[in-house]
Amino acid sequence: MSGEHAGSAAGRGARSPGAGFTLDLHRCVGCGACVLACRIENGRTGTAPWRRVVPVNLVRRLAGPTYFLSVACHHCDKPACLAGCPSRAYEKRADGVVLHHAERCLGCRYCEMACPFGAPQYDRDRGIVSKCTLCAPRLDDGRLPACVTACPTGALQLAPPGRDTGGEALRDVPGFVDPAGCGPSLRFRAPAGARREQLFRALQEAMAR
Amino acid sequence: MLVSLDERDRIVAIEGDPENPATGGRVCLKGLAYAQRQSDPARLLAPLRRRRDGRGFEPVGWDEALEEIARRLVRLRDESGPLAALYYEGSGSHGALGGLAEAFWRQFGGCTRTHGDLCWPAGLEATRLTYGANLHNHPRLTVESRLVVVWGHNPAETNVHQWRLILDAQSRGARLVVIDPRRTDSTDAADLHVQPKPGTDAALALGIARIVVDEGLEDAAMLRAHAHGFAQYRARLADYPVQRVAEITGVGASTVRELALEYGRVKPALLIAGFGLQRHHHAGQAMRAVALLPALTGNVGVPGGGWQYANLASHCLRPLPLPPEPPARRSVPVSRLAASLETLDAPPIRAAWIERANPGSQNPAAPRLRRALEALDLVVVVDQFMTPTAELAHFVLPAKTLFEEEDLVTAYWHPYLQWRARIVEPPGTVRPETEIWRALSQRLGLDTSWFPGDREAFLRGLLPEPSEARLDELKKRPMDLSGLGDVAFADRRFPTPSGKIEFASDQAAERWGVDRIPGYVALGEGSESPLRSRFPLQLLSCKTRERIHSQFGSLAWVRGVERPHALDIHPDDAGPRGVQDGARVAVWNERGRIELRARLTPGIRPGVVHVLEGRCHEGDPDVNALVAEGVTDMNHGATFYECLVEVAPV
Ligand code: SF4
Ligand code: SF4
Repeated sequence: MSGEHAGSAAGRGARSPGAGFTLDLHRCVGCGACVLACRIENGRTGTAPWRRVVPVNLVRRLAGPTYFLSVACHHCDKPACLAGCPSRAYEKRADGVVLHHAERCLGCRYCEMACPFGAPQYDRDRGIVSKCTLCAPRLDDGRLPACVTACPTGALQLAPPGRDTGGEALRDVPGFVDPAGCGPSLRFRAPAGARREQLFRALQEAMAR
Repeated sequence: MLVSLDERDRIVAIEGDPENPATGGRVCLKGLAYAQRQSDPARLLAPLRRRRDGRGFEPVGWDEALEEIARRLVRLRDESGPLAALYYEGSGSHGALGGLAEAFWRQFGGCTRTHGDLCWPAGLEATRLTYGANLHNHPRLTVESRLVVVWGHNPAETNVHQWRLILDAQSRGARLVVIDPRRTDSTDAADLHVQPKPGTDAALALGIARIVVDEGLEDAAMLRAHAHGFAQYRARLADYPVQRVAEITGVGASTVRELALEYGRVKPALLIAGFGLQRHHHAGQAMRAVALLPALTGNVGVPGGGWQYANLASHCLRPLPLPPEPPARRSVPVSRLAASLETLDAPPIRAAWIERANPGSQNPAAPRLRRALEALDLVVVVDQFMTPTAELAHFVLPAKTLFEEEDLVTAYWHPYLQWRARIVEPPGTVRPETEIWRALSQRLGLDTSWFPGDREAFLRGLLPEPSEARLDELKKRPMDLSGLGDVAFADRRFPTPSGKIEFASDQAAERWGVDRIPGYVALGEGSESPLRSRFPLQLLSCKTRERIHSQFGSLAWVRGVERPHALDIHPDDAGPRGVQDGARVAVWNERGRIELRARLTPGIRPGVVHVLEGRCHEGDPDVNALVAEGVTDMNHGATFYECLVEVAPV
């Protein structure tokens, strides 16, 4: 990934067939409400969170503004976790959700190694892995994921399966790489014009360090 | 908010209420974390008494605790009179019932209380003097703005609900200007970030006004019909040519000009001021100067425009029924609590009752205040958690949370009055403050009928008519009972003495002894102060997103999001002092000294340093050790941001 995305049409993505998150990089203030909502919803207040917020340029270098990447599992088109799992603990649902079934998990942690995004979390206590379910139980209930519901700025949204996130949704931004060709379903929104260039420069610099 | 309970009636999760028009059904991190705060292992569930050897606390029953407190209060009153007792309250969770302690103290014969507020009073009074009332447009009209100017405020961190609306306006094409000496998450999103020297906002505002008038961009028709004292104000603008303003504020003349022309031309323009620019001695006059800009440019009474500081539209409750006032009353400014405890005489303060507040951490001159509290005969603190203040108490009484007693809650940004249901019973032996006051009154043989038996009936009685129907409605959704409509001052009626917007205010002169026309006055501890030869850096101690002052930061759920305490210092200030990024430094002045790590921050204005306020953890810096007990020119506010310091490695 490099600067060629800045301001160009490259990387502008039609939606993958499955459901996924959209993150507006101008709106995310890194408040962490999404992380906490996820932890509460999934009973993970004491264990490693499924969602995390990664600050970019937090030291407030003058080169560019601070941005925040709120990320969890990307419910990829071709999930490396699923491919890497010897015991078929992973399932890719028709609506795109990638589910991990605890009862089939051996605790071998191969998926953890396979996923380039650090999504699966190993729980030492239980000896097995777990990860973001896109709040499948809530989706099945016709509700939005807990993180999306909580996000006070509207930065984090859900794009349902098959629905285009709109012409401005970006498949990738500098620093967000897909080395294993998983086809993550996360899409980004970024401000237009000079602001976008500034943002992408900040992201690149953060990645170069 | 919507609260989920588990099968044992414990609060497990909180979501936003989609029926709440101000939040759009969204909650901030702190709102979510209430679920943990509720059952945090550190929460106090039973009364504690200081052990006789002075080391730590021991549990004590309510009866025994209240009996002993009552006995000691009565003895103190007999010996020294009721004014020897200080009653100090904070805002807690803003319920109407909080005021009922007064029913006890009035019957007790009075007590010493505080007046003023640590937070926002100078800005309130400045707005009232200017427009006659603290009202502003409905927050949702923010999106109709074409230009949003955020001044001395950081909503991306401290009001995310407001921030969402500002971003919505920006998405619809509005420009965003943020005025702040620091770089913050809000300034990062701005199209223009202006960094004046702290305490020079009046000069900046008057410089802008001068350019607006010179360019003929003022709304002449509006001013003719609805301005009072404009000619005198206009004459005063001669003192603020752009070159002088640039020198005072440290903002380049071209930037002042750009800002003035943009604000003068773009309509509608919304000016949102924070509390940050009214924490110094001349705060009221500075706020008046800034508050007049929307009036000057015809942005008052229009959707998408306006002056947004505080909205008291929801403050429509009837006064609490209380016993008659006792003859003896005494009151001290809240920002001078340490000095008052040290010097009050006839009678000196001998006892303090503190609830919904943590002055031992949060007030100016906190270490002195702690020493003064420690010297008292009796200190009672009511709180949900141990705090630096509670540590000093003879008795610590456990406090309820907002889920444990019905109440009516007012707001200060949106216009909604809210009903707060009792969702769970208080845990352990916790009882609501109203019950503590009732029990104590009973022990003193006072009339307890002032305290509600049936809370719902009592609260209904506080509602404006028709209260019955309103209570039913309120239980379903937050309500705007002000009857004022979405656009403040749409009718161009201003409840000021002149009935107009007051560019010149006799009341300001009579009440507060300040100039009728707002002007810039250099701070005693500011950018032009001689004291800078010894303490060259201006210290700001601001707020951030994961805490409310000293609350929330210690919760496990919030950890991981918080930014560690550090001294933000510009590399140009750090270099000559040999201060390295991450190194421990001392920050001091004549009042005190703290130590913490330095964080080199190119985004902050050189000459300004910053430490987050609010001590949540052991070892968090006691930044109020550095802060003077100043009082603002109007309305008895505090002067937290008028504080010169020096910094060096340790
Ligand atoms: S809740 Fe929204 S704004 Fe806050 S960190 Fe998450 S995505 Fe960003
Ligand atoms: S992000 Fe990782 S865990 Fe999630 S679907 Fe893709 S490969 Fe699997």
